[in-house]
Amino acid sequence: MATQTLHFHDRVDTALHDETLKTALERATTRFVGNRAGAIDALEDADGLRRQARALRANALSKLDELLARLADQVEARGGKVCWAADGEAARRYIVELARDRGVKSIVKSKSMASEEIHLNHALEHAGFEVVETDLGEYIIQLAGETPSHIIAPAIHKTREQVSALFEKHLGMTPTTEVPPMIRAARTALRQRFLQADMGISGVNFGVAEEGAIAIVENEGNARLSTTVPRIHVAIMGIERIVERFDDLAVMLQVLARSATGQKLSVYTSIISGPARPDEADGPEEFHLVLLDNGRSRILGGQYVESLMCIRCGACLNACPVYQAIGGHAYGGVYSGPIGAILTPLLQPDLPDAYLLPQASSLCGACQEVCPVGIAIPDMLLRLRADAVKAGKAHPVETAGIKSYALMMKNPLVYRAGGRAARLGSRLIGRKGRIRHLPPPLHLWTHGRDFPQPQGSQSFSEWWEERQKKGRTQ
Amino acid sequence: MSREQMLATLRTSLASNRAWLEAEAHKAPHTPPPFVLPPADDLAAQFAAELTKLEGRVYQVADHEEALETVATLLEERKATTAVAWDRAQIGLPGLDKLLAERGVQVLDPVVRDEARKAQLQVLEPAPVCLSGADFAIAESGSLVLYHGPGRPRLASLLAPTHIAVITSDQLVRGLGEAMARLRERYAGRLFDVTSNLTLISGPSRTADIEMTLSLGIHGPPELHVVLVQTP
Ligand code: SF4
Repeated sequence: MATQTLHFHDRVDTALHDETLKTALERATTRFVGNRAGAIDALEDADGLRRQARALRANALSKLDELLARLADQVEARGGKVCWAADGEAARRYIVELARDRGVKSIVKSKSMASEEIHLNHALEHAGFEVVETDLGEYIIQLAGETPSHIIAPAIHKTREQVSALFEKHLGMTPTTEVPPMIRAARTALRQRFLQADMGISGVNFGVAEEGAIAIVENEGNARLSTTVPRIHVAIMGIERIVERFDDLAVMLQVLARSATGQKLSVYTSIISGPARPDEADGPEEFHLVLLDNGRSRILGGQYVESLMCIRCGACLNACPVYQAIGGHAYGGVYSGPIGAILTPLLQPDLPDAYLLPQASSLCGACQEVCPVGIAIPDMLLRLRADAVKAGKAHPVETAGIKSYALMMKNPLVYRAGGRAARLGSRLIGRKGRIRHLPPPLHLWTHGRDFPQPQGSQSFSEWWEERQKKGRTQ
Repeated sequence: MSREQMLATLRTSLASNRAWLEAEAHKAPHTPPPFVLPPADDLAAQFAAELTKLEGRVYQVADHEEALETVATLLEERKATTAVAWDRAQIGLPGLDKLLAERGVQVLDPVVRDEARKAQLQVLEPAPVCLSGADFAIAESGSLVLYHGPGRPRLASLLAPTHIAVITSDQLVRGLGEAMARLRERYAGRLFDVTSNLTLISGPSRTADIEMTLSLGIHGPPELHVVLVQTP
């Protein structure tokens, strides 16, 4: 939250001058980009699977009303409860009241973007509950009082020395530079938290309308523990995160794992339907599903509807030269990277500089290229910039971009060809290269900026320095 | 806001984009492919290779007798005196109960429900070994499919530092698509009538959250041993 008090430009500057962050980001994004590419290339029909994934997401969104009703009916038929939360306030109120009513003392959480979006931890702690993040990365940054810097690796900006110091202070661990003792210390400390917890809160990767089920993927096992051990399980799901049929998961789970980390499947996938049945030995007595709208129905009816297809794999973040250079903190919202630059202004329009985020892109097209559901991210970023200019928020410097956008949109083929040429050209120029002049009509775009080389971070820093010299856009 | 209000809002919003979304939905078939990689000849070998890459251990054994020996060795190495386990009938390895009794391994009461929940959890926590079966094993990804439910506690693949799973070679399928189709067939659309949980496991618990260094066993079992019994 602290990062939000700084202006976007200052956050970018801070990030660009943080050497630890730079090294960590490079290590993480390079690894993720390589792993993803390997996992996608190995597929027999990568393009076919991707087209299927997109079709399945579109199918679910096209009947979202019907599918949510079915999901809710099924969950209730199996003894679960459903909360229809129009906004974050409604979701927070439901969960806080539930916890109070059931005499809950301690709560364990597994990673959930939706709960971060509505600042649930803050509300729960404010109401006097003890809340522990159990994903190791989330736990580390909770101890440090910080926010995630990367969607898949939230504590990537922390060095092992910093983690050791945190564990020494909070867990009484003997200081070490070895990772295994830190893992053991965290396992022991968190295990007792699980066993003592009265409520587990999780996110949802996919709701399954047909079966009244939710699917949660993870690698650590903390989501399994959070959804099995405590007496009450509360799952928070953005209303768009749904598929129609059980079989759809066979496509979605595979593209998600391959795009996110390059795994064939995540280590654990839990498919959960309601509370434990009477004859089951374990599992929660109560299951609550919170269906969160919080601006999504607005997006559903507008020109950015495609952004709701997102499955939060993080591939576009890792592939983005801007994200590679500045990391997640600089974006200021819960969602970062190219898709965050779209979602944040749409979901959190009250963030004062959210409208600037769509400018944090070189429009190199790498994001769309890696997106497992083929979301037209660069296209939407351009439209958001145009919106900001129309609303009188953005500076005229941006209008050069807008004009070229208009030209490109008249002829999308030219745009696509241009993007490809840019990528090819920048690869030819090399790792630290930049493209200063593009063929028409894209040359208009270079009035405003250079095209950084898609996979390297150097060019963005250079571009940024230059841009700062020229003066800010605000 | 009520369910009806939220759904009404959604319906109104959808009106403008429904046609476009429907068109996008029709651009590709919806039925998942049964598998996604170029097919391998020997599913058992593929499964073993994939799970080994994930730091799991696979023991390909010829019969039940050899399977029991393997389990016995694993228990002995861990000096196990207690275990959290599926009902032995659900694991499908004849003689397992006898073996556990002979070796002095007590299978703890796995019922963690209602008032006894927290106390019984503390009883289960020190057990060094988890024992389970599985419904399917996916060769392409080295995954186990565990359909939980009566006699098949979730904690029997989660709590202890070692998870031993016993499967037979006729449970091998090529890919996730095939596994899901077979599951649906087997439970004929009543997948979640008697169970609340279905879990896929692909390797031991892992994290790379500290400096991208791979570490096993942060929450789930750091060790996963799969005893794969050849069926005639
Ligand atoms: S926009 Fe696409 S690539 Fe980016 S997180 Fe969402 S699904 Fe993944």
